[in-house]
Amino acid sequence: MHVGIGLRAPHVAEVLATRPATGFFEVHTENYLGGGPRVAALERVRRDTPVALHGVGLSLAGGDPLDRRHLVRIKDLVDRIQPVLVSEHLAWSVVGGAYLNHLLPLPYDDTRLDETSRRIEQVQETLGRTILIENPARYLRFHRSPIPEPAFLGELGRRTGCGILLDVNNVYVSTRNFDEDPHEYLAAVPAAAVGEIHLAGHATNHAEERTILIDDHGSRVAEPVWDLYRVALDRFGVVPTLIEWDTNLPELAVLLDEAASAERLVQASQSRERHVVSA
Amino acid sequence: MSSAHELDRGFAAALLGEEDHEIVAEIQGDGLDPSARIAIYRNHVFATLTEALEATYPVVVRLVDRRFFGYAADRFIRERPPAGPCVFEYGESLADFLASLPPCRDLVYLPDVARLEWALNRALHAEDAVPLDRRWLADVPADEIGTVRLVLHPSVSLMRSPWPIDRIWRSNQADADPGATVSLDEGGACLTIHRAGDDVVFRTLTPSSYTFRRALADDLDLERAVDAARSVDPSFDLAGTLRELLDEGLIVGGTVSPR
Repeated sequence: MHVGIGLRAPHVAEVLATRPATGFFEVHTENYLGGGPRVAALERVRRDTPVALHGVGLSLAGGDPLDRRHLVRIKDLVDRIQPVLVSEHLAWSVVGGAYLNHLLPLPYDDTRLDETSRRIEQVQETLGRTILIENPARYLRFHRSPIPEPAFLGELGRRTGCGILLDVNNVYVSTRNFDEDPHEYLAAVPAAAVGEIHLAGHATNHAEERTILIDDHGSRVAEPVWDLYRVALDRFGVVPTLIEWDTNLPELAVLLDEAASAERLVQASQSRERHVVSA
Repeated sequence: MSSAHELDRGFAAALLGEEDHEIVAEIQGDGLDPSARIAIYRNHVFATLTEALEATYPVVVRLVDRRFFGYAADRFIRERPPAGPCVFEYGESLADFLASLPPCRDLVYLPDVARLEWALNRALHAEDAVPLDRRWLADVPADEIGTVRLVLHPSVSLMRSPWPIDRIWRSNQADADPGATVSLDEGGACLTIHRAGDDVVFRTLTPSSYTFRRALADDLDLERAVDAARSVDPSFDLAGTLRELLDEGLIVGGTVSPR
């Protein structure tokens, strides 16, 4: 299951009818926590192809306590779908009971590290498995944020056993937005912790004072992100890779074509590795 | 700002359009006004939640015009942000909100149209449940049948409106006759909304059938439910109504309380 695609509602019927060959499908957990035809269709998809559950609503890095009811519903879905991977984000979305439907930024300090670790442990204990935590796309940073993001993720892994879902597009977007070096970022990620890679397109927003990249999942993967992906494959080995697309969703074939591009880079990386081993 | 909770609270307040100077002091500019950086997050929150509301309320969007809906959604999101993480569960109170919005005051039917659309959305995502085997009811001794309480399928909603919201809804579907008009004088509607297979459906009920189903939903026993229905219409047909409910697979449980 090298490369998979994000499965969105408009493509489900076509996927069930045509059964395209893909490594796995990934869905947003929060879209499948009800009953009815939506989750029944996901069960049918799951019969032929592994499914990964990608959560966006647990608010693991926030100030509010963990939403136990939400976690129990996720547990029920995990039991029903038996996902190949379960992931969430290094972000928050809930405060004072208001759910803001976004992956919001936090200062990377010891307090957040302690609180986030504790919540990841709670989640892993309830689900009876480890999860992956994704680096978010970031558009701002806080003054008091002493821990670099890759070190923060690495420390979460060391404390809780969770893995890292490395979103290479987010690495590119975030580092470019703060004039940092994406290669330095990749070099600072503990290689053994990476359990999945995400790829997606981004938009370029020309604000008055400076250009901001926006992780909108609305286009093909950009060339510099493919370049970073090559580096990531060589550094982290072949881990499951996902093509994500959410805004201006194209035909399913376009996503499969992006997945085929990623698969070619996986093959190239593997042959480079064989070459190194045999040399 | 001392705690994570306070910082998040300040950030959320800035997102929802309140005072942002405290949180702005915590944010690095990096060549851009910190408020402009917060606005990037705000844009996403409002765009995605507005999109979710538009998907749940397509007829309301048509009735008030998409631009006005955007304005109403913006205010609604600020005043009543989601109380849970699933966007398909967001927006139940939009009907009440629209009822309180002065520009909508003349659209007297609008809140009930919104309630119908919410019931359709709710039915689509309601938990699954297995219909009760019809033999279960047949096996209840005749002298205990009045004590039976029946459980309706989780997707069922019952609605009564003084306005012809069923006809308003149908005349605003893509396949409707564009020349058709609905008069508010046509009278109201009693509706049942539920999931049938992969589809969500609604249909009109007689006032007595509505009253009977309402009584079941309120956990009254059959004797009291029949009394309520017969007070509306003395010729209420119990056997026929139960058969309808069983045929539609809408009874998913039952209990008998032996006297």
